[in-house]
Amino acid sequence: MPSSQRDEDWRRTDISSLHPDRFTPIEVADPAVVDAMRAQRDSADPKAAFVIDSPTPTPVEGADTLLAQGIILTTLEEAAMVHPELVQRALSSVRVDESKFTALWNALWRGGVFVYVPRGVEALVPVWVAHPAGGEDRATFPSTVVVLDEGAALTVIDAYASPSGPAALFSDAMVILSAGRDARLDYNTVQQWGEGVWHVALQRAVLDANAKLRFMGVTLGARLQKVWWEVLLDGIGSEADILGICFGDGTQHFDHQSLQAHVGAETRSNLLLKVAVRDHARSVYGGMIDVAPTAVHADGYVANRNLLLSQGAKADSIPRLEIRANDVKCGHGATAGHIDSDQRFYLMTRGVPPEEASSLIVRGFMDDVLDRVPHRGFAELAGALLEAEIAGGSVAGVTAGAQ
Amino acid sequence: MSKAVLSISGLHATVEGKEILKGVDLEVAQGEIHALMGPNGSGKSTLAYTLMGHPKYVVTGGSATFDGEDLLPLTADARARLGLFLCFQYPTAIPGVSTVNFLRAALRAQGKEMPAREFLNRLSTEMQALKIDESFRARYINDGFSGGEKKRAEILQLAMLRPKLAILDETDSGLDVDALRTVADGVMRLCGPDMGVLVITHYPRILEHLHPDRVHVLHDGRVVTSGGADLAREIEREGYEPILGTAAAATA
Repeated sequence: MPSSQRDEDWRRTDISSLHPDRFTPIEVADPAVVDAMRAQRDSADPKAAFVIDSPTPTPVEGADTLLAQGIILTTLEEAAMVHPELVQRALSSVRVDESKFTALWNALWRGGVFVYVPRGVEALVPVWVAHPAGGEDRATFPSTVVVLDEGAALTVIDAYASPSGPAALFSDAMVILSAGRDARLDYNTVQQWGEGVWHVALQRAVLDANAKLRFMGVTLGARLQKVWWEVLLDGIGSEADILGICFGDGTQHFDHQSLQAHVGAETRSNLLLKVAVRDHARSVYGGMIDVAPTAVHADGYVANRNLLLSQGAKADSIPRLEIRANDVKCGHGATAGHIDSDQRFYLMTRGVPPEEASSLIVRGFMDDVLDRVPHRGFAELAGALLEAEIAGGSVAGVTAGAQ
Repeated sequence: MSKAVLSISGLHATVEGKEILKGVDLEVAQGEIHALMGPNGSGKSTLAYTLMGHPKYVVTGGSATFDGEDLLPLTADARARLGLFLCFQYPTAIPGVSTVNFLRAALRAQGKEMPAREFLNRLSTEMQALKIDESFRARYINDGFSGGEKKRAEILQLAMLRPKLAILDETDSGLDVDALRTVADGVMRLCGPDMGVLVITHYPRILEHLHPDRVHVLHDGRVVTSGGADLAREIEREGYEPILGTAAAATA
């Protein structure tokens, strides 16, 4: 296992008390969690097809429109058998031995979700993927693989949830997004694991020429998470807008690592991650823009803004640039600070009590990101979950059986 | 004179350890318009911030009551809920908080919530009166606003919140003639038996629009003289010096 003493990548994220062998893989999706996740889909986008990632096959819901368009929507297991060339194409961007966690995922994943949108097809409704988990001392290996052929367009919501509470779970997730020439992919993901969950995820997108990715990540749950948000801008003129919000409290630990790898010429990427941490929560962020010699006229920006809501909360931010091409435009920015006392006073002079003034400022800090998310239903869901987190102390995880 | 809404007596206050207010006495009756003038550094804005309860301004003596209630132990939000409002000279931008959301939160906090339709209708009416573009509803509060837009947005908040007393802290500064008229008309429309105004200004020009009942001159942390609207004209004509000279002689 990686060590915070030996491995630079893990220096600020200590997983010495994570023992994967203690966890046994989940066999059946927790129905109460599935219901709570379905209710979220119903409120945010009732027309979206609903797919459950489960080791035991479960029927896809509300997918008639998509299937009629020739879109493939099935388990990754089945896709690997029926459409091996498509699955192979997507998986070729990940090496099994990249890390202990990718190797573990490769050995133990089951079920999984696979979406393929054929050439020139614009999906009429989004795909809502639910990765539920439940129980105690269980491991889950969530998998989402999305392949967009030339000129295809799709919106995906990728949700991770388990019941709120301290139950220890281990999630080792893999997301592979492959966008062909001129394809457009809107990918939105929300992580709301319960407070006892260890979450490790690799979420990687590969973009062909002129493909456009809009990525939105919402991080709220888990005891500890380390995720990699990676975009490989391989094709000429490909573009990625990567947004993220993260709110944590208690002793939650969040580690986001991002990579904007510019390979093709004229590629553009922009990443903005906003984090607010309260109590003794901690955030670690490492972001890299890597510009290959081939990526002439690349335009990349990475920014991480942190709001510290308590004296004990902490945020480290290390954005980096690695530029090996000429004539590029790249930049980075990182900030960390407390709630602005002038802003708070200003709100109070209009009658707003101090705690509510702080909440409004935190919401505003995040709404600045949420307002840019194209899928309004998802943005509103994220806003509501965030609101509950801000107001209610630690409510990570879904309230199973609610609604 | 009707009942005093604001009553200040012997008020002393320090900012970062330096005494700025040195015994201010001032009374504003319900529904009246008062002007507070005075040279730079006389303590006008300090008085405004002290009355509103800014934590940097420390009261070291005297009293201030609002509608008969002691203001001084209250936090700014509680003062606002009593009906005190401050139009800031330099309003703060709050990125991410839209004007609409902000106003709804403020109205809710003050127990003046109204149905969404009524709220939006009223907001539209007030925005038109103040010549504020519809797009400002969704814009983040004061974020990227020009100086004039900020002042108008302050008056819009005033119009939506309808306090008992509004302190206008140099609301006229930095406004061109037309904007000044729009803002002053906006204030006059709101003034009446239910809302009084304490307007802090350097320039008598805004007073030509607001017609104050009383004018006070603050100098070195004290109100040194008070009078009617004539006092403002006298200051415009002759400056502060003759008045301050007399006042200094009177207190000597």
